[in-house]
Amino acid sequence: MKRRRYLGPAGVGAVAALALALAACGGSSPSSSSSPTSTSHFNEAINTVVNPSSHKGGTIIYDLTNVPDSTDPGNTYYAYNWNFTRLYATPLMTYKSCPGACGEQLVPALATGPGVASNNNMTWTFHIKPNVKFSDGQTVTSQDVKYAVERTFDRAVLPNGPTYFPVLLAGNAAKYPGPYKDRSKNLMGLTAIDTPNPTTIIFHLNKPFADFNYVAAIPQTAPVPPNKDTGPKYQLNVISTGPYKFQSYTLNKQLVLVPNPYWKQSDDPQVKQLASKIIVNMNVNAQDIDNRLLAGDIQVNMAGTGVQAATRGRIMSTPSLKAQSDNPVTGFLWFAYINTKVPPFTNVACRRAVEYAADKVTLQDAYGGPLLGGAIASTAMPPTVKGYQKFDLYNALSQPNGDLTAAKAQLKACGHPNGFTTNIAYRSDRPTEVAAAQALQAGLARVGIKATLKGYPSGTYYSNFAGSPSYVHTHGLGIDFGGWGADWPDAWGWFDEIANGNAIAPAGNTNISELNDPLVNKWLADMQTATSQAQSNSYANKIDMEVMKQAVMLPIVYSKALDYRPANLTNVYVQEYYGMYNYGVIGTK
Amino acid sequence: MTAFLIRRLFATVILLIVISAVTYAIFFLLPRLAGETTYGLATQYVGRNPTPSAVHQVEQQLGLNKPVWQQYWDFLTGIVTGTHYRSGSINDYCGPPCFGFSFKNQLPVWPQMISDAPVTLSLAVGAAVLWLIGGVLIGVISALKRGSIFDRLSMGTALAAVSLPVFFTGLIALDLFSYKWPIFPNVQYVGITQNPLLWAKNLVLPWVVLAFLYAALYARLTRAGMLETLNEDYIRTARAKGLPERTVIVKHALRAALTPILTIFGMDLGLLLGGAILTEVTFSLHGLGMFTIEAINNQDLPEIMGVTMFAAFCIVIANMIVDMLYAVVDPRVSH
Repeated sequence: MKRRRYLGPAGVGAVAALALALAACGGSSPSSSSSPTSTSHFNEAINTVVNPSSHKGGTIIYDLTNVPDSTDPGNTYYAYNWNFTRLYATPLMTYKSCPGACGEQLVPALATGPGVASNNNMTWTFHIKPNVKFSDGQTVTSQDVKYAVERTFDRAVLPNGPTYFPVLLAGNAAKYPGPYKDRSKNLMGLTAIDTPNPTTIIFHLNKPFADFNYVAAIPQTAPVPPNKDTGPKYQLNVISTGPYKFQSYTLNKQLVLVPNPYWKQSDDPQVKQLASKIIVNMNVNAQDIDNRLLAGDIQVNMAGTGVQAATRGRIMSTPSLKAQSDNPVTGFLWFAYINTKVPPFTNVACRRAVEYAADKVTLQDAYGGPLLGGAIASTAMPPTVKGYQKFDLYNALSQPNGDLTAAKAQLKACGHPNGFTTNIAYRSDRPTEVAAAQALQAGLARVGIKATLKGYPSGTYYSNFAGSPSYVHTHGLGIDFGGWGADWPDAWGWFDEIANGNAIAPAGNTNISELNDPLVNKWLADMQTATSQAQSNSYANKIDMEVMKQAVMLPIVYSKALDYRPANLTNVYVQEYYGMYNYGVIGTK
Repeated sequence: MTAFLIRRLFATVILLIVISAVTYAIFFLLPRLAGETTYGLATQYVGRNPTPSAVHQVEQQLGLNKPVWQQYWDFLTGIVTGTHYRSGSINDYCGPPCFGFSFKNQLPVWPQMISDAPVTLSLAVGAAVLWLIGGVLIGVISALKRGSIFDRLSMGTALAAVSLPVFFTGLIALDLFSYKWPIFPNVQYVGITQNPLLWAKNLVLPWVVLAFLYAALYARLTRAGMLETLNEDYIRTARAKGLPERTVIVKHALRAALTPILTIFGMDLGLLLGGAILTEVTFSLHGLGMFTIEAINNQDLPEIMGVTMFAAFCIVIANMIVDMLYAVVDPRVSH
């Protein structure tokens, strides 16, 4: 539901499972050899597994420029962290571990199969695997899953994760405070979840929701034993259900994971237990991460957002380094909202004038060019979303420098033939966004649209400025830069928070255009009563087209990154759901 | 001498109280004067996307509805006795010395700062030893050999060193000595009690880079001070009395030239102990500097306030020690 980047679990899997998955995906079939090959080529890890191996042992070091929002699976919303937490927290569902498009396929993790819907998609039943154990030896029960969901209701204790459960669940969910306040009354007090036996869990929803299996793939469904929960401090020692457990965690400095002796491959076939130790160093200098990566001192840049600008040139100009790198689509879209309530953008023709006048090439350059920024976007959702179809309403692809004739025609139609004035909001501490705002300002000036740049700090951009409709209106922020990555790869997961009229919020608003289109709202609602994924996907192009017709978003680039994989890593590939390497399966020679 | 020390200690305590009051006012009083509500103020302490109930809870826990003077008094007493942050059945305890409670990390600020302090202490003290010895030595030799090739070369290098920022020399040093010729590979902090040799080896590059900058300053200062002192009448008298040149230089000239060096050394060391931000970030060392950056990035105001107070405390204490050392170097001070 948020803007943290494209997320989703993927996994590791036994070599046999991996080979099977690859065969199913049509990727090149990896050998099960324990002696990895050393020859590789650019972009190899996008559609194939590089260095497939079942070799065990060694240490994998991840470096991170900052810190995760939390290591608690119930309190995180970063894509890389959803990828990483599967190593120690097994949610009900997850994404299939395989390269290419098959990596967006939902499969069971802790559950024995996908959730079974009944009552018009309002009741969802999951059965969990018997004999799965926590890292302290306790057996996992359905009550542990229920408790894991309950604890996420207390936003004072766990403020960071998504809020699908309070929004979707029926019963007392709207008023349930979570299990921490008045524990005797509230522990297991959420009436919307039934646990009739230790291996069955039933979710009762307040409205039809066909995408609930996607919600069950969020780390918040990873079980938590109530007797070991320490609230906000649980992140310091998470009780594991994955292949690894916490050995130590020095807050915001270093996390060390070691194999969980109670974990079996059958507990979750999508992840592997290969390395004998995993170390995460936090707050490491970004350039130093690249240097350490290239020197082989570390194995993974945990954020998964690619190397720094200085390193990109070095990699692309050195054949041996280039052969060990990949340039995947991340699933993220950079764009600018055009607000429908700020004059003159109340008139759709004025919004369309912006769509036509913007110089997409200079905007793309601002984000790093075609290789590192991404391909020019012409749609409101990226190609990685299910049901995507390419179209180009405003000639972004055919006339990427801008269609000034069409722009002037739209200006006439909106009653401002000589242009108008407006403001552009952007995050002033993001150099790419500053450059993009300047590029857009210059592009619009060519048709007489005079835009004033208004920079804001990124930390409060959504809470106090662009995400506050009243602020946007009073300060005339007609164009507001932003970016988006969906929580799951279908049109509902993509559009609900940024284009549904019901999602407009007084603060922290992400439908910054304030689009409240009856058609879009209806189609999004209809998606959740669909009885099949195919039926659900059939709405994707209709919604995308309608959003673009309304010209409430100026798409800029389908984001890409340049990732580097050291030669000693095994089982490396880009999991399409995360748009980065699959952390659940990698090992080391 | 005792009266001097008591006076200085008393002044130091007063200064620390003033600093704490100013810091507290910046964080809690000024926003209120600018029209911020207590709810809005509390929002800044909760982390991203808080619910209203979470904000109200922090509002209560911080006692934002109390008069500001009372909040400040609670804060001051908390440093000595610890503080309970209460709201309903929630009771977060921050033991003494309580420099605030991070509602984002759900941890008191002080233990977090203290766990980072050894890194900064190791970095600052090691570098200080290097730059003090190196800088003063070069300064003295340059002064004694005024106009020589050594003098010109060392002062030219010093000028260049002062002009080069740490993040530049640091990255160059890392690139050369950690990656191109891996003499100091994989630089990261290892506790001195854990492995003293590795502790020293991994800190050599940060020490040298940091000392390179400061040594240049100290060399120029020492040279200037020595040149001035060497022209004083009492130096000529000392030489006329037949004292050995070594005694004249070390006991008479250098001692007098050291006073301004000592002043600036106290300030520099105090500043660094509060966090050598650039060096720590360049070498990815998790000291107080990195703690500060992280607090700013997360907009974690209790942590920012805590580290501000701690940095001020370090500077004030370092200056107090320097003032006391003045009395040793120059006996006139204690009178």
